[in-house]
Order: sequence, then C-alpha cells, then structure tokens
Amino acid sequence: MMTRKAILIPPLAFILRIVLFNIPTIADTLATRVEVVTPITSFKRLTEGLYLYENSVPPYDNGIFHQAPFLLVLFSALTSLSPLAIPIVYAGVDTFIGYALVVITQMKQKNYANAPKLEVEKEMAPIDPWTVAALYLFNPLTILSCVSKSTLIFTNLSVVLSVALALKGDAIYSMFWVAIASYLSFYPAMLMPALVLIISKWTPSNNSTLVKQARASTFYFVAWLALFLISSRILVGSWDYLYSTYGTILCLTDLTPNVGMFWYFFIEMFDQFRNFFLVVFQLHAFIFVAPLCIKIREHPVFVIIVLSGMMSILKSYPSVGDAALFLGLLPVHDELFKYARYGFLVTNLYLYSAALAPIFWHLWIYAGSGNANFFYAITLVYNLGQVLLLIDLVYAVLRRSYDIANPHTIGKEVVHK
Amino acid sequence: MPWKKLPSCILLLLALAYPVQSKLSSQKDSFQEDLLISPLKDGKLLAHFQFTTLVDAGGLDEKDGRYAHYGLFPKSIGQIIDHHRVQELHLTFTQGRWQYEDWGYPVAQSAGTGVELWAWMKLDDSIESNWRSLTNTLSGLFCASLNFIDGTLTSQPELSFRPEGAKNSYNHDERMREGAEVRYGILPHENVCTENLTPWIKLLPCKSKAGIATLLNAHKLYDTNYHSMAIHIRPVCQDANCTSQSLELVQTVTSVLDPVRESGRRDWSFSSLFGREIQSACPVSDRSAVTVLLPSEQHEYQLTPSYDTIIERTAAQVERPIAVYNLSQHTEPLNLQMTWNEGEFSYPLQTSKPRVYAHKYMTGYGHERGGVTVNIFNNMNESQDISYFDSVPWFLKLYLHTLEVSVLGKDHIDQNDIVQDLYYQPAVDRSRPQVLEMKLRLPPDSVTAVSIEFDKVFLKYTEHRPDANRGFDVGPAVITTLLPAGDDNLASTVLELVTNRDTPTRQNIKVYTEILLASLPTPDFSMPYNVITLTCTVIALFFGSIFNLLIRGFSVTEDEVDEKKHENKDEISNSS
Repeated sequence: MMTRKAILIPPLAFILRIVLFNIPTIADTLATRVEVVTPITSFKRLTEGLYLYENSVPPYDNGIFHQAPFLLVLFSALTSLSPLAIPIVYAGVDTFIGYALVVITQMKQKNYANAPKLEVEKEMAPIDPWTVAALYLFNPLTILSCVSKSTLIFTNLSVVLSVALALKGDAIYSMFWVAIASYLSFYPAMLMPALVLIISKWTPSNNSTLVKQARASTFYFVAWLALFLISSRILVGSWDYLYSTYGTILCLTDLTPNVGMFWYFFIEMFDQFRNFFLVVFQLHAFIFVAPLCIKIREHPVFVIIVLSGMMSILKSYPSVGDAALFLGLLPVHDELFKYARYGFLVTNLYLYSAALAPIFWHLWIYAGSGNANFFYAITLVYNLGQVLLLIDLVYAVLRRSYDIANPHTIGKEVVHK
Repeated sequence: MPWKKLPSCILLLLALAYPVQSKLSSQKDSFQEDLLISPLKDGKLLAHFQFTTLVDAGGLDEKDGRYAHYGLFPKSIGQIIDHHRVQELHLTFTQGRWQYEDWGYPVAQSAGTGVELWAWMKLDDSIESNWRSLTNTLSGLFCASLNFIDGTLTSQPELSFRPEGAKNSYNHDERMREGAEVRYGILPHENVCTENLTPWIKLLPCKSKAGIATLLNAHKLYDTNYHSMAIHIRPVCQDANCTSQSLELVQTVTSVLDPVRESGRRDWSFSSLFGREIQSACPVSDRSAVTVLLPSEQHEYQLTPSYDTIIERTAAQVERPIAVYNLSQHTEPLNLQMTWNEGEFSYPLQTSKPRVYAHKYMTGYGHERGGVTVNIFNNMNESQDISYFDSVPWFLKLYLHTLEVSVLGKDHIDQNDIVQDLYYQPAVDRSRPQVLEMKLRLPPDSVTAVSIEFDKVFLKYTEHRPDANRGFDVGPAVITTLLPAGDDNLASTVLELVTNRDTPTRQNIKVYTEILLASLPTPDFSMPYNVITLTCTVIALFFGSIFNLLIRGFSVTEDEVDEKKHENKDEISNSS
C-alpha cells in the first residue's frame, strides 16, 4: 500500500542529499569534520588508499588507510564511472536504509500484533512505518554523515538489511549482511546473537529450535566472514590489511579526535596502563551482548537497537553516523516512549553538544583560545546523553514487560528490588 | 758480564723491531690540512677547514678484513666503521642556514640544519642493528643525540644520496651500490656546540696543538652566521683503473664569519677572526696550505704577508686568482691579514643567484591539517634534471593524491613532463617516515612548485617534547643535481685545483632547503588523572545502570509490603 508519505519521503530525502552534495563548501567541510568522519571511515583517506592501490603501492602498508579491501574495489569501480556516481550511490544507499527501516517496522508490527499489550495501547495505532523512515532520513545527523561521504553508511546499510532479512526469516542472507557489516567495521559482529534470536523467534516455518538455528546461523556467519577475508587477501595480495583495519580499530593507533570517549583517554593515558584500559574499554562494548540476549529475549529487535546504541558509545572510532543508525532504529519500538523518563534531558544534551562541539573544536584547533579539554568535555556530554538514553530504553522495556505481566500494579509505585 | 751482552741485545731488539717497522712503514697514511678563505659577495667571509687523512686499504688485515694498525687514521673511527660494516659515512653538524642566494654553493656539500647522518652500509643480515648501533656509537663519540635517529627518522633514499667514493662519479655508482644499502637520518632540532667540536678535534693527528687546527677556537667559531662541522669517510681510488683503493677521512669545518658586523669594514686577520695565529704546520702533514680566493680586482685590497704562489685563471671556470700559503715553508707564525681599500662596506643590492636553489614553506593554518610547498628555482637557459628528496616524519600524514607539481606562471606545462620518476614510501605510525623522491626536469628559467597536503597527527601526551607548544622540526628537502662547474660553486673547485686533482667539468650539487617547524595539536598535559576519572565515570554510569537494570526485578513499593506485614503482625498479636 503506497501512502502519500511513501511517495513523498524517499524522493525528497534523495534530492536533499544530492543538492547538498553539489554545494562544495558544505560537502568539503563535512568531509573533514572530526565529528562526522573518523580515521576508519574518512573518504579522503579512502581516496589516498585508492590512489596508492591504483599506482601499485601496497595500500595497507601505511598509517593512513584503514578501510576494508572491498571498499577499495567498490570505489575503484565507482570513480571510473562518472563523477556523479559517488553522490548518487551515497544518497541512494541512505534512502534505501530508510526503506529498509520501513520494512523492519512493518515486520516488527506484524509480529507484535498478537503479543500481549497494555490496556492503553489497545486503542492506539502503532507508528506509521514511513514516519520511522522520515525520522531517519531527515535526521540532521544522518544527512551530515551521508554528505560527508563517510564509508560508515555501508556498515549501516548492512546492519539494517541483516535485521530486515532476519525478520523475514532468511538466515543465510541475514548472516551475509551482518558478516559484511562485521567485515567493514568489526563491531557489528556483536549483533549476530540477537539476529539469531529474531530468526528463531519469528521464522514462519517454526520447526527448528533455537539451538539448531544458532548452530546453523553461526556456521553461515563464519563461512561468509571467512569468504570475505580470503577474497580480500586475494584482492590485495597480502594479509597486511588485517592489522591495518582491525588492528587499528582494536589497538587504537590513530588518536584523531572523534565524538567517542577513547581518543582523549588514550592520549592522556599513562603508557604502563594503556593496554589494560584498551582491553577494559573494548570489553565494555561487548560485555552486555549475552545478558541482553538472555534478559530481553522476548524483544530481539529491541536488543539490536540497544546494541547499536552501545556501539555508538563504546566503539573505538564512533561518529554521529553511528548515532544516526541508533536513533533511526529507535522509533521501531515506539511503544516504549511513554516510559522514557529523561527525554527532555537527553534531547537537551544532544542539542547542547551539537551546538558546542564545532565551536569548541574551532577554539582549540584554530583560534587557540581553548584547549583540548573543551572539545573533550563536549564529547563527554554527548556520550552522557547517549548513555542516559540507553539506560532509559532498557528501563522502559523492562518496566513495560513488568506492567504487562502484572496489570494489577498499574497505578501503584513500583521499585527495583 | 752483563755489558758484554749489550751489542747482542741491541741486535736482538733491532731484529725484533724490524718487521714491525716495515709493517708500519708499508702503511701509507697521509695527512693533508687546508684552510680556504673566500670573501663572499655580501661582505661575509667563508672559512673552510679541511683535513684529509688517507689510509691504504691494502692495510686491511687479510684474516678478518679489519684494520689492525693505525697510524694517522683515528682508531676510534676505524673501529666504528669496521665493526658496523660501513662502506661510506657522512656525518654533518650544522648550525644556521646556508644562504644559497647570497653565498653560492657551499664547499662542503652536506648543509642541512641540524645533524645529518647518512651511510652506505654493507648488505648484511644485521644491517638494521648495525645502523642502530652505529647511530648510538656516533652519539657517544660526538656527544650528540644521534641515538634519536631511530626507525621513525631513518629512510632509504632510492634516487638521492648516491655513493661518493671509489669512482667519484655520480653516474657510475653501480659498482659501489653492489652489496650495500644507504641509510639516511636527520635531526633538525639538534644544537651544535663545543662538546661536539672537542671530540671532532681529537680525531686530528695534531689535535689543535699545531697546524691549521690551532685556529679552531670554539669561542670564535660559534660566534658566526653559519657553522658546519663534518666527517666524511669514503673509499677512493688510487689510480685511474681503481686497482687499489684507499680509505679517505675528510674532516671539515665551514664557518661564515661576519667581519662587517664589528667594524663596518671587510678587513680581517687570523687574530681578529679566530683570536689566534698559525704557529707552524702540523709536522706529520704532507701538505699544509692556506688558500685565499682573491677578488678579481687587484687594486681593491692588500694581503699581508704576501703569498707563496698564486694560481691565476688556470681553469676556464675559475675567474678569480687564488693565493696559496704553504705553511711548511713558513718559520714565522702566520697571521694572515686582508685590508680592503674602502671605507664602510656597502651591501650589494643584488646578488648573483645560483643556478638551482629551492625554498620550502608550510601552507595552511590551524592544528588540524596543512601543506608543504617547495619552490625550486632554475636560473639557467636550459632545462635541468634534478633529484628531489624529502623525508617527512610520520606525525605529518601526507596525502600522495594531493601531490601537485606545477611550473609557476606556465600552467600549460603538464605535470607528467616535469616528473620523470616518482618513488614514494608511505609512513607507518610510530615506525617509519614518509619518503618522497622524484626525478624532475626543470624547464629553463622557471620556478617549479611541488606541493602536498598533510594531516597533523594527534600524539599521545608522552610523545610530545617537553616544549610541546614549540612544535616539531621537520627536516629539509634535498635537491641533488649535476651542474657544470661555474662561478657559484667556485669554492669547491678551488681546493681541487690547489691539490692538483682533476677538476671535473660537471659537479654533483646538493641543495638543502629550510627546515620547518610544525606545530601539532597538544592535549592538556595536566589532565591525565582528570580524564581517567571523568571518562571512567561515564563508563561506570553506563555499566552500573545497565547491569543494575538487568539483574534486578521490579516490585511494588514498601507501603504495600508494610501493610501486609502489619496485617501479619495483627494476626499474630490477635492469636496470642
């Protein structure tokens, strides 16, 4: 069913992006902003890697290029087509992510149609899937990330595709896309268990148990990943790329600032404790995968949302593009919003950091009237906002489940125990 | 009677001494000392000291290929090059910048500000550790921070820094390159002072006790516009066919002094320049000569005492007469004095520019990114081939795809017509620098601009220098070219003329650009504890809250529980 929204939103989003791509001051400025691009997603660095690759200099034996070999091949093909190809691909991919969110929302709503609900929810219609797409496509963070030509967009595409395909019960291709996402930026590997939950919970042919499904999916995932890694080895001719891409992500060799918490922490860290804290920080990104999958196993799509939120806080090189994916997935579980307690605070923290991050960056790097602490403070506020939002969400889902299970407690004061 | 045995004892001693004597005498060490003085066009005065020690390479021990006996050749140097399997070594300490546009080309070729070390090392499994050990050893020997030339500063030039030894010819270095590799490192920040000069003087056979080296007065030598001190070790051929080789150690000190600064006149004497006179030649020297490159107009000056010999316009390329003082013929102390027949020196408004020179500068602003541009000037009427070498430390991340080579004012010339060959080694963080080398063909009468962009790296706080806000020094670009001998590189031909060597018609010239200062973004150095605390607080808030939510369940509030308890209590009290 094509509504008016459906006809309007994708073309509008596409045209908006194409227009922004054609304003060079905006596109060029965004391509170098630390908030939007990171050393592992920068298009300028990709261009350098591509230039080295095409001039038969080993592209991974340097401190500049840290992106996956498939991107080299993809952009090698794109640049040979036409100068218009790259903006069209970026705008198209972003619009397609919007469409994938529509599919995810529709599937989720269909699966939840018969799920137990609160009394108040019974009269309310769930969110229009195209509103979810619009919230993603016209989110300023999404637009900034897209126009900056950050290669993170391909990771985001792979993540939403894997979720959409998992909801459709297609284990092989869901695992294909999550393997692509893991291959491109490592962290999405943590989504794999939650995807298995989705597949086994809502598969139309519900003849396989969770254990069987997990075994099969793990096999697909490992097989796809091995295929990608081996074909990359064949493409670039050596295993150097492993250290240059995943090594950089794990060991944090490039300390260029971003919106995350790693860079300043490891600039300032004492050398003796650097490795210890690297392990601790990287562990934090993955530590809640199992607990979430167990505790909130009834809402696996929600687990995906929370994990993508955790990635956008705790990956080593986060950017606003990660937050864009997280915030884009958020409205899929719109029924939780009424439980959110910190909405106003979180909104303000986002706005506050969005306004002050470019100013403080300018004060530190260009004006010289501020120092590194200014920008660091803003990243801290931004991450505090994201952490509060995550806490709020997890609280909301648990509290709602409690209320559904215990309708008699509604109206009474409920506490943690 | 013991005295009866004396003649036989002497005979025995003589017999024992004979082979040693013959062995020593078979080793043909030779030592030459030279001082070249040349008034420069802007009133400055160039004083170039050169001490050459030659040792017969036949003196090699047959067994292990090492020098076993040392005469005039300094043992400390001999052992270093033996132990580290060095074929050729060039170490230069420079303070100040050589002004190519005012002074022409320098006599000593290496002139990059700071300490520059490059060596051809014999190919070996342990070449890397040999190089590391060499820098550390030289660091100890010359009291310099050469040990900081580690992997992050060492490069292997492919086109520049060819061997200078053996055939003495730039184009015929294949034989020298066989089984050897070059290593190059520069410390642009290094200061040069007395503590480096003292060990350098100790390598001379006469130290600074006799000969020309007595003039090396540190107080005066460092009070100059430019100062450079070097040792060059290279194998040289003894004959045309190069059947036998010698090892040559050339020690140089080059100073550009400024007599005009003190008196307004260009007059100078040894005592005014160095505060000393030359008492005598070094007794072990084969040749000990002071050479003065005279102005072409004879009525302009007086030179006392008068010279022993004069070489006038012998070679086509030398337009000026050369006065030579042979120190071994002088019994009196020599206090050379030159007086100009003029009042105050008036600075020339225009200087004759050298044929090829270059300038390097930074572009851009802010601590985030920037660019480097090198302008290469060719003042000749014909196109000129040059080799361009630039080693940029890893903390400036060059983007090769932004490299642009253009001729200023001549936009129609294509980049590919200028760049004949390009060699690029990208940097790896914390382990090696970028090396950019190009063969360029400079169009006639042109300024060629080589520009490239870079990102500045955010360093860990422990990687910054103690004076972090001063910035980091970035070494010079080096341009190597083969030029016909001419007026702007007169000085280097002079010594060869004086020593009756063949003066080559084309000469290998190295032009060093300025060193640059790159200011990198700095963290707040007082913040480690604060950052650890604040970041960990956010992480702990995240972990603690989520953990809390996941492991605890919900329940209705205390009130209702209390009510239930009260009810229970009532029941109990009732029942009792």
